Amino acid sequence: MNTVAKILGNKLLALTVLISVGVSLLVVPAFTGGLGANPLEKLLHQSGEIAIWTLGAVLALSPLRVLLPRSRIVAALNRHRRALGVSACIYGLLHFGFHVLYEGGWDGLLRGLSKPFIWFGLSGLSILVVLALTSNNWSIRTLGGKNWKLLHRLAYVAAAVLICHQAIAGKGHWQIARWLLFPLAALQLARLIKTAVREKRRSTALPSVAKQVARDIESSVAGAASRRLPESASDRSQRSPMQQARANENRRCLHPA
Amino acid sequence: MKNWKETRAWELPDSAVLRESQYLRRREFLRLFGYGLAASAVLPVTMRAASAGFPDSLNPSFKLEGVKLTPEDSITSYNNFYEWGFAKDEPKKLSNKGWKTEPWTLEIGGLCKNPRKIDVNDLIKLVGGIERRNYRHRCVEAWSMVIPWDGFQLAKLVDLAQPNPDANYVKFTSFFDPEHCPGQRSNDLPWPYTEGLTLPEAMNELAFVAAGLYGKPLRNQNGAPVRLVVPWKYGFKSAKSLVKIEFVSDRPKTTWNELAPNEYGFYANVNPNVDHPRWSQASERVIGAGFFSGKQPTLMFNGYEKQVAHLYTGMDLRKNF
Repeated sequence: MNTVAKILGNKLLALTVLISVGVSLLVVPAFTGGLGANPLEKLLHQSGEIAIWTLGAVLALSPLRVLLPRSRIVAALNRHRRALGVSACIYGLLHFGFHVLYEGGWDGLLRGLSKPFIWFGLSGLSILVVLALTSNNWSIRTLGGKNWKLLHRLAYVAAAVLICHQAIAGKGHWQIARWLLFPLAALQLARLIKTAVREKRRSTALPSVAKQVARDIESSVAGAASRRLPESASDRSQRSPMQQARANENRRCLHPA
Repeated sequence: MKNWKETRAWELPDSAVLRESQYLRRREFLRLFGYGLAASAVLPVTMRAASAGFPDSLNPSFKLEGVKLTPEDSITSYNNFYEWGFAKDEPKKLSNKGWKTEPWTLEIGGLCKNPRKIDVNDLIKLVGGIERRNYRHRCVEAWSMVIPWDGFQLAKLVDLAQPNPDANYVKFTSFFDPEHCPGQRSNDLPWPYTEGLTLPEAMNELAFVAAGLYGKPLRNQNGAPVRLVVPWKYGFKSAKSLVKIEFVSDRPKTTWNELAPNEYGFYANVNPNVDHPRWSQASERVIGAGFFSGKQPTLMFNGYEKQVAHLYTGMDLRKNF
């Protein structure tokens, strides 16, 4: 379990996976005739699919962390939120580029502005661009953790808008979009239920004075724990300076929710 | 009817359409074609049936002068046939895993004097064989092809059946075989697929029953063994793999119209001025035209205005889309 978590937590590996998804679905088929009779449409759809599923992956990570707080695998995967989010934006921009090529001129592009699916797509992509541009430690420091977190909650808005974009962009697209919408909604619901149950148990179990104290302690502990990979004191003492530096960097990395 | 050729802005000379080698050999091709035509007259009519492939017997009225035919490979690999799956490449993959389209019986019935159940090969013999027509094909999803269909005019079938005076519509029903057909095991669409035309539409010279394309029997993914082809309407009107053709008095339920009546009308005539509520219909992507080709303007009634506009005179095409 530890080794699996360690491998899954490897940032270089994650980056390789995120790039090779694009290479295998966009670049390789382009050179092997795998794009079919309408190659540009295939690229348009594939890039959009990659973008939205990558975004979906980021948004699945936070509820998973609440639902499985002790899972090392979930903790390891949570290290890749920034890479996932930025990739979603990059694939989204590619998707936009393919759309421009597909329309092939101002006529089609301008005509498209009268269609809601274009508004949804553009607004979702704009959010992703803002979030990607502020996905760095400098932005977190400048904005302050609280503001940054609030800003990055827009990822949920982006997902909602983009799933809508996908569902209405073509004939039969809802049948594709639902495969992302339902699991994401189920995860969020499960997380809300778990949080609510925990709150209730706490408020009934503790007398009112102790309650606030306990909540303060717990939230600070939970907050700190969520920013760290679970590890024991002995692990920490055996770390090299490089590992120590990397761990510190992880701790600085905030999560949107 | 005009007997001169009107050149349109989008037309190309044959030399631009054919590969150089083909262009240089066009006379040789015409000579061979002549022999083929002569031979087809001598050959027994059974040789022209659905399963045997078809002699090249292009009807010159439907040559579509100067328009480039879509490559056969594209026509047979890029299909909307939701019975097999939503992706364009799924019909080819999934419809060729043991789904039998021969022998195939077509039922012709409803309000007519000569109802019958007939084997598709026999039907083709009965209507006098097969002709080739090059038709534009415009999908409601804003892409288009040009397809050399082999088949017969739907009016011939209507004449065989002799509809009663109270028959106002023709209803077309596709096959239902959930055992072989993965898409039909879910109820995303109300199966079987049904479509309909008014009787005058069905009698129009353009309305066609295809049994092949590029001289070969229809591939399963294209709607084997027989399908409807109504080139002035969006592709979804051209129901595939027909098992039943009925004459009815009231407007029949049609699949996409039933599913989303505000998006897919009963008429579904190609019209660049009436958008689909979710996307534009003003232009179309030509399949096989190349990566940087952009879109070309869509033509009213898909370029068949002369032949069909009279069917809709006085009708508000925005309401009756």
